Amino acid sequence: MIYLDHAAATPLSKHAFEVMKPYFDTEFFNPSAAYLPAQKTRYAYEAAKDEIAHVIGAKGADLVMTSGATESINLAFSTISKDAKVLISAVEHQAVRACAARTNNFEEIAVDKNGRVKLEDLEKKISPEVELVSVCLVSGELGTLQPMSDISRIVVAERQRRAMASEKRPIYLHCDASQGLGLMEAKVARLGVDLLTINAAKVYGPKGIGALYVGRGVKVNPLSVGGGQEMGLRSGTENVPATIAFATALTDAERHLSAERKRLQGLKQKLTKKLATIPNIKFHGNQKTQLPSFISFSVPGVDAERIIFALEMDEIYLSTGAACAASKGVKSPALKAIGLTDEEIAGSLRISMGKLNDEENIAEAGEKICAAIINEQKRLNRG
Amino acid sequence: MAKVFLGMSGGVDSAVSAYLLREAGHEVVGVYMKNWSKNLPGMKCPWAEDLADAKRTAVRLGLDFRVFDFESEYKQKVVDYMIEEYKKGNTPNPDIMCNQEIKFKLFAETAFEQGAEMIATGHYAQTDGKNLLRAVDENKDQTYFLYRISADVIPKIIFPVGGMNKPDVKKLAEEVGLTVAHKSESMGVCFVGEANIKDFLGEFVETKPGEIRELESDKVLGLHDGAIFYTLGQRHGLGIKTGLPYYVVKKDMDKNIVYVSQNLNSLSLWKKEIQLKDIIIRGEHDLSKLQARIRHRAPLVAAKLEGDMLIFDDEQKSLTPGQSIVLYSGDNCIGGGIIA
Repeated sequence: MIYLDHAAATPLSKHAFEVMKPYFDTEFFNPSAAYLPAQKTRYAYEAAKDEIAHVIGAKGADLVMTSGATESINLAFSTISKDAKVLISAVEHQAVRACAARTNNFEEIAVDKNGRVKLEDLEKKISPEVELVSVCLVSGELGTLQPMSDISRIVVAERQRRAMASEKRPIYLHCDASQGLGLMEAKVARLGVDLLTINAAKVYGPKGIGALYVGRGVKVNPLSVGGGQEMGLRSGTENVPATIAFATALTDAERHLSAERKRLQGLKQKLTKKLATIPNIKFHGNQKTQLPSFISFSVPGVDAERIIFALEMDEIYLSTGAACAASKGVKSPALKAIGLTDEEIAGSLRISMGKLNDEENIAEAGEKICAAIINEQKRLNRG
Repeated sequence: MAKVFLGMSGGVDSAVSAYLLREAGHEVVGVYMKNWSKNLPGMKCPWAEDLADAKRTAVRLGLDFRVFDFESEYKQKVVDYMIEEYKKGNTPNPDIMCNQEIKFKLFAETAFEQGAEMIATGHYAQTDGKNLLRAVDENKDQTYFLYRISADVIPKIIFPVGGMNKPDVKKLAEEVGLTVAHKSESMGVCFVGEANIKDFLGEFVETKPGEIRELESDKVLGLHDGAIFYTLGQRHGLGIKTGLPYYVVKKDMDKNIVYVSQNLNSLSLWKKEIQLKDIIIRGEHDLSKLQARIRHRAPLVAAKLEGDMLIFDDEQKSLTPGQSIVLYSGDNCIGGGIIA
């Protein structure tokens, strides 16, 4: 198998798997129970939260653990009032788009041809009724990094303007960091965000665990109430094993971050060079502002899904340009936003590399991907 | 060798059909008909997965593949028809309507427009180029669902698996490495046909509760949640607590009353002759010597057709208005009609 879809899911690291096991077994206790062994489980849980928080430059108490990015995003959107307006970038994940759509009052911030938010468009749209600006750290379809600190400056300026004008409406910046976390620095202070969504499933942690960083003074409304866990913001017995594994996976990723980036950058260069031999190929995004694990490209005329099905016969797994959207026949809004034609969108593929890749399998993948696409082009020409 | 447009559902029968057509040297275009995509209560519509399975098979066999979007036509011709029939108190068969209006009409027309010389599907049925014939696999024969297809289209149909037994189809799928070889089989042809009819109708029709009465005594035995949901001969889901089971023997749609009886010999349940409507007969046949099938997989029974009356040699049970009776002359599925 050559796995080229790390942006969709990553395997659980052996280290993370090992550390979580006792919490299913001997340390299974409910962390809310009073006796000592349960208290020890609670300490381990709190320590894991601190460890996760540390990676993003926060404290454990700033985190609300959730079932994953989608829940975190929903929780982030719980901060807004009924008549609020929301701004999201044009390259957001479906979860953000769906949350925004529910408000009935949202606008998209335009992006350039590389999928980067146009700051002047944000400045234009940041009106007095905007309560939430939501921009991803990295676009899941393009791998494009967003200028978070510049975006933050615009949000902060608006917040200051409102303070000076005695306007009561708050404004927050939420960043969905499900893509990018573990492969780039994501400190809340440097990003300048009030809310940050993170997720274990893409950093070699388990599925079903994520968190929302909630900045001081930001008021979130719980989606579920009950026993009052997570400071009342997310009731339900804590997912101790997954939280502990998340902490380990994230810390490991952080520790090897710069070496892994360098390694992936090297693989990306080689694979890109090979793919460039495909007639009519078009690469999306700018090298400088793209995550080193990502290659996004399109081959107009070719049906990307056919390429997926052809390559799976060689046990090479990658994704169409719009991972979630493609199988439903929905055109990817992100690919549309960067100005691709329908034909280019239909012919879009996404490669996201990671730990399962090395020089050898990337070389083989390059050969096979080129062959599959060129084969398909030939088949189409015959017809 | 012909240019064949094959309807691919994502199941094993149409996948093996694709393989067989390709092996026979035809130029095959796989087509997924997107007829329905809405989830229903308790049922996730598997169209996206089915489409992916169909496309995957096409790619593995190196075939061209297309999607025909028939959602609005399906809604109009099949679903609306079905709802109307239920409202009248009948129990329609959406699969039959789907074959008549969508698969062997709209699909065929669209395929021919796009250059097809022949069409194919994974149904268990056969043709001799003129007549619709029963499948070799008696147990899987689907001519019951196909009896209303037009005589004009039959010469242009290939049923690649109609001459095979189902176990052999599955075996072949496995041997040639088709990924859908072990895909679980759905009973009906259409998704809508598989849905719990109560849940399905609940989405489209407003219903009110009414009385369940005993036919003989007119005594009220209980309440039902809409006469529309009940079918003649139905025994389960009546909510009557007694020793012997009750059967639905009659429905009064205007008064919203369902009549039941414990008497299995009730005249309402057993009939020797029945009036048919919308009869179609393909070709010339001796209508006094026919075999009839009163539901899918039911054994063939001797009958004769006189005008619009079908007369059985022996009494038949639970002949339900809206359901079809399909007529055979030997292996030839000559047509049939809908119980009036």
